[in-house]
Amino acid sequence: MGNGVHKSEFKSIAAAFAKAKAEKEKEDAQALRGAAQDARASDKEWEVRFKATHGLIVAFFILILLFHILGLYLFTSGFLLTRLVLNNKSECPVPPIEPLGIFEPGSSDRGCWHPKSFQKAIIVIVDALRYDFTVPFKAQSAEDKPHHYHNSLPFLYETALQYPNNAFLLPFIADPPTTTLQRLKGLTTGTLPTFIDAGSNFAGTAIDEDNLVAQLRDASRRIVHLGDDTWHSLFPGYFDPNLTHAYDSFNVWDLHTVDNGVNEHLFPLLDKSNAGKWDVIFAHYLGVDHAGHRYGPDHPAMSAKLEQMDGVLKQVVDALDDETLLVIMGDHGMDSKGDHGGESYDEVQAALWMYSKKGIFGRTSSSYIEPPQSARERPVAQIDLVPTLSLLLGMPIPFNNLGAPIEEAFIGRAGNDYVNLAKVRRLTAAQIHRYQAEYALARKLDASSTALPLKLWETATEVWASVKKRGNPDKDLIKSAAIAYSKYQFETLSICRGLWARFDVSSMVCGIVVLTSALIMLGFYARGIDGDRVDVTPTFLVRGFSGMFVGATIGSVVGVSVSTLPLISTTIVATALGGNLGMISAFWSIRKRISSPTPTTLWGWVSTVFPLLLSIGFAANSFTIWEDEILLFFLSTFGALLAISSFRQKSLLDRSLGVYHSVLFIILTRIASLSRLCREEQMPYCKSTYYASANSSTSAGWQLLIPFGLALFLPGIIQTYYNRTKSLQGMAIPWLSFALRAFLLLSAVFWLLDAADDGDWLSIDNTVLKTIKISLSRIVLFATFGVGYIVYTRSPSFLNIETHTSPTANGTSTPSDPSQPVIASPARSRVSILGYSNVHGSRYFILITIWLVAVTMVQKPMGGGAIGILALQILALLEIIDHNKLTDTAVGPVVLGLLGSFHFFKTGHQATLASIQWESAFIPLRIIVYPWSPLLVVLNTFGAQILCAVAVPATVLWKQPPKKRGLLGNIAKAMATHVLFYATIALATTMWAGWLRRHLMLYRIFSPRFMVGAIVLAVVDVIAAFVAVGGVRWGFLSAAEVFGPEVGMSI
Amino acid sequence: MSSTTTVTRPTEPSTIALPIEPLATDFAKIYIHIHPFLLLSLYIYRFDAIVGDPVSTLPTLLVGSVGLQLVYILTCLPPTTAGTKSNPPMLAKIGLKKKRTKQNEQGYGDKVIPAVLSLILTALLGVPLIYIFVVLFGGPLTTHFLHTFFCAAHIAFLAVLPLVYVFGVDSGRWRELAGLLIPLDDVVGGALGTVFGAWVGAVPIPLDWDREWQKWPVTIVTGAYGGYVMGKLLGGQILKGKVIEI
Repeated sequence: MGNGVHKSEFKSIAAAFAKAKAEKEKEDAQALRGAAQDARASDKEWEVRFKATHGLIVAFFILILLFHILGLYLFTSGFLLTRLVLNNKSECPVPPIEPLGIFEPGSSDRGCWHPKSFQKAIIVIVDALRYDFTVPFKAQSAEDKPHHYHNSLPFLYETALQYPNNAFLLPFIADPPTTTLQRLKGLTTGTLPTFIDAGSNFAGTAIDEDNLVAQLRDASRRIVHLGDDTWHSLFPGYFDPNLTHAYDSFNVWDLHTVDNGVNEHLFPLLDKSNAGKWDVIFAHYLGVDHAGHRYGPDHPAMSAKLEQMDGVLKQVVDALDDETLLVIMGDHGMDSKGDHGGESYDEVQAALWMYSKKGIFGRTSSSYIEPPQSARERPVAQIDLVPTLSLLLGMPIPFNNLGAPIEEAFIGRAGNDYVNLAKVRRLTAAQIHRYQAEYALARKLDASSTALPLKLWETATEVWASVKKRGNPDKDLIKSAAIAYSKYQFETLSICRGLWARFDVSSMVCGIVVLTSALIMLGFYARGIDGDRVDVTPTFLVRGFSGMFVGATIGSVVGVSVSTLPLISTTIVATALGGNLGMISAFWSIRKRISSPTPTTLWGWVSTVFPLLLSIGFAANSFTIWEDEILLFFLSTFGALLAISSFRQKSLLDRSLGVYHSVLFIILTRIASLSRLCREEQMPYCKSTYYASANSSTSAGWQLLIPFGLALFLPGIIQTYYNRTKSLQGMAIPWLSFALRAFLLLSAVFWLLDAADDGDWLSIDNTVLKTIKISLSRIVLFATFGVGYIVYTRSPSFLNIETHTSPTANGTSTPSDPSQPVIASPARSRVSILGYSNVHGSRYFILITIWLVAVTMVQKPMGGGAIGILALQILALLEIIDHNKLTDTAVGPVVLGLLGSFHFFKTGHQATLASIQWESAFIPLRIIVYPWSPLLVVLNTFGAQILCAVAVPATVLWKQPPKKRGLLGNIAKAMATHVLFYATIALATTMWAGWLRRHLMLYRIFSPRFMVGAIVLAVVDVIAAFVAVGGVRWGFLSAAEVFGPEVGMSI
Repeated sequence: MSSTTTVTRPTEPSTIALPIEPLATDFAKIYIHIHPFLLLSLYIYRFDAIVGDPVSTLPTLLVGSVGLQLVYILTCLPPTTAGTKSNPPMLAKIGLKKKRTKQNEQGYGDKVIPAVLSLILTALLGVPLIYIFVVLFGGPLTTHFLHTFFCAAHIAFLAVLPLVYVFGVDSGRWRELAGLLIPLDDVVGGALGTVFGAWVGAVPIPLDWDREWQKWPVTIVTGAYGGYVMGKLLGGQILKGKVIEI
């Protein structure tokens, strides 16, 4: 419609609002409503009906959410890898194989299965101690300069080099996922992690498998734990309650509390007077990890932290007695930004350093004395620590262990004690053999997968037999026995790696079937029903829910009575099927109104083809990696198509404004695209700009200006869009011109203080600063939701009345502006309604601004800029849709889907675990608080998608006539289309992840993308139901007060 | 949607858009079919060199392409009359009439000036504009300036040069073109084909095939040349005179 530019007709605001309103109502009674009393009655009736209908539509989207959750649950339960956990425990008196020679097993004092070397041990975990932090930097080329993380922790390397019998340093390779919880499981049980645990980092669960800590406890060793409290969720009650001190592990902004706490309690224990109080200490430092998360590895804070660790470790060594083994290790590495979780080279490479004053370590070759230059040389697996420590401390090897004893620890000072090495390897291999036999019993294994290791086992046994036969076997024969057992262990490990990639295909297929049927139904609902969706939604709702209920009942009965079927999966499948049948019957009952949802217009085709192209692209790892660039390309293409469409408009106004906003849309898209956070696979063709540098996770100085620019300009720009339709009335004025600006300004100050905190610019105490920051962010979040929602729900429509006397008093008036209809034209004065032409849109947009503030608050400065651009793009899109009369098409919801996905990347995210900005949980909180902390991370991660989903009803409401029929039904249609977009993507990524489950890149690329798709779908479903569709209620109610019933829906 | 499905052209009475008819000379009738394949052959001939070193090969190829394009517009197309004479910008129809009667007397001299002007306009306006478009669609912003520049130049001289030659500075025609409101013909088809081909050319760039030809801007230029030929075939022959409906 776009009549907002005719500003000249209104030169003065004449009447006061109250007076004019009274006058208007009088006029309304005559002109618009008819008899006043009837109107009151019908108002009431309409209001009741509207609230009921609106509630039913909200409930419909909840039904869709349920379908999606059922389907995703089914798929996930089959897709995320499962390993059968055996509850068998290794026992001290029962070695897996008859020991050789005179050693009598069964006493933990002498050593259970093998003579022990140490009575006590201190195991220090320096979280995220990457291997290259510990070795001296050697330039590969002239431009190669050492980074901050280089040469700051030389102690380990130097000791290993100078005292090879006392210490060795090796690369220590983690099995992904490289999250601390997963790593601790691997480091204590010796077995491989499964993917399902990766998500439980927020809520760790106790280990019930056999593990080293449990073995130590069962042998009545006194175990002390200091540091990261993840240990306590894994091993509740295992540690000495008086000496143990645990610290919160997730406050990644805090570099020192945990480390200082560990130091405070560790050193007194090392004192001779306390030597009798403990046997094993686990000390877990978090400072290096937190420095990485907060600043990235290449930052002075990292070198300071590493230097501090260097000093601490020296002190520990000084205080160590002869009978104690010292192990220092990292549990994983970190990527170039200091994050971890995935399986890139930098994330899996940690350092392992073992030390004892006894001097029992050796090397098989003198060239091995110098620790490897990079983690690619002579690495050991992290699970190798388990048999090594078990045997050194005289414990039985945990039952499920798959690791191998580390050569350096058993080869003896001279580096030639192959008898000892062969013994420990034989023991380890025998335990693995025993485990495999049990595992094969518990879960039927096909003979082909176990044939090779069994053969290797037999070979090793034969070699050993020949060793035993000769009284004094030569060194080579013993060496070959050691090698044979090692081969068996290695082969079994690699088979297990493949085997535990065992998928429950039937469950996955069920999940895909449920998601597909939900997609088809949503597709018909969104694009295949003629007329108003308001009439038919109740049918879907009732039949869908009753179908689900009946299905759930039947499914649970079948699941209980048929013992071969798993109860939960059967119930879920039956629930989904029942719901499907109910929906199908609902479609059948309205079959006359159903048309094919296949597109018939160009816009229909475009809106279908682009999401489909994107979905197909997710089958290729390259297109998944480069999704951000592809979305930029698609959005520019949409912008160009919208520009072409605008050029076709007949009215000059539509044409020029349409073209202007289309070009603006394209340019804004390209500007936003400059904010990038590259994933590892995009290197070297991508340069990260989200943080100050590729190796940091702090913002650059200039980036701190972005939030201030946002606060300065964005509210004003939004106001100009309101002004075009004279909609800047009532509560919109204080909200847009004051509150919005104030909140954005506070959030900008927050990020400035945050940078000051990071860089120590202010001489204010850190705790004070922290309190100020937390208060600021809380004020912003409470105020935007509290005040914002009050304004949104309580305010009347943004209308005003203007009375002005016509200068040409005679009857021939100039052509009037339809956006400001003239209610009455007495001889001399005219009364017009300001804000009439965008009464729905202006009201609804307030809701978008509320969420805009909330999302901006939890984004880093660069991300805040991206969200600001997103807001401008949404406004441009709304104008384009209006000028091109595309309200009824799928263009708006689909472009918003693309925009949401695009800005997911522009707010510093990628479809990788490592890119999750966990620290956003601590913006308004000091500690983890459920459910707020996960919700904050969701608001940070999916802020763009959330904002776009909130904006969907605006595409239907923007500049539409107040009394246009069927608006509520159109909102349901648009929202369903928007959800359809994400459902398509989620289904595609689900199918590809299932189909490519043996693909090399499954964990790096397809699986994370599937998880993003699934979570986004659920989040958007929730936002669609409760925020967007739920939020239109107040707008319609307030508009109905002015314009009478039948606003939004017909009676 | 209903308002966009039935499209009527903007109501300026002067512009009655007709498809551009190539000149009726024997040479034109033959050359108009040969021209796209000559261009494509030239491109294929130089393809390996372009892959090897785009920055030095693309400009030399450009010389050849522009040469062929000049031959094409001079021999096959009616020049615009708008802008070169004081006539109002409505001469699509009148111009055609004139051409039909006068074309035999009209020497190449009368066409050289419009051709040179088109060349200058394309270089000064078309190339930068296409460059901006390429960047807006995700082309490199801070690196590969020459790569992108020559890419834009190739697209411009394929798509824009003939358009400038026949449309001149008639803003009405250009606006109709922007809204795709004009009938397809050899020139418009070639231009749209070039743009669409360049668009499609972006698709293989992210694939991890590690091929030399995936580098910037080889696929874009290849798509543009391929699209030019396809567009000419479709616009000039198969779909001639059709108006795209949205």
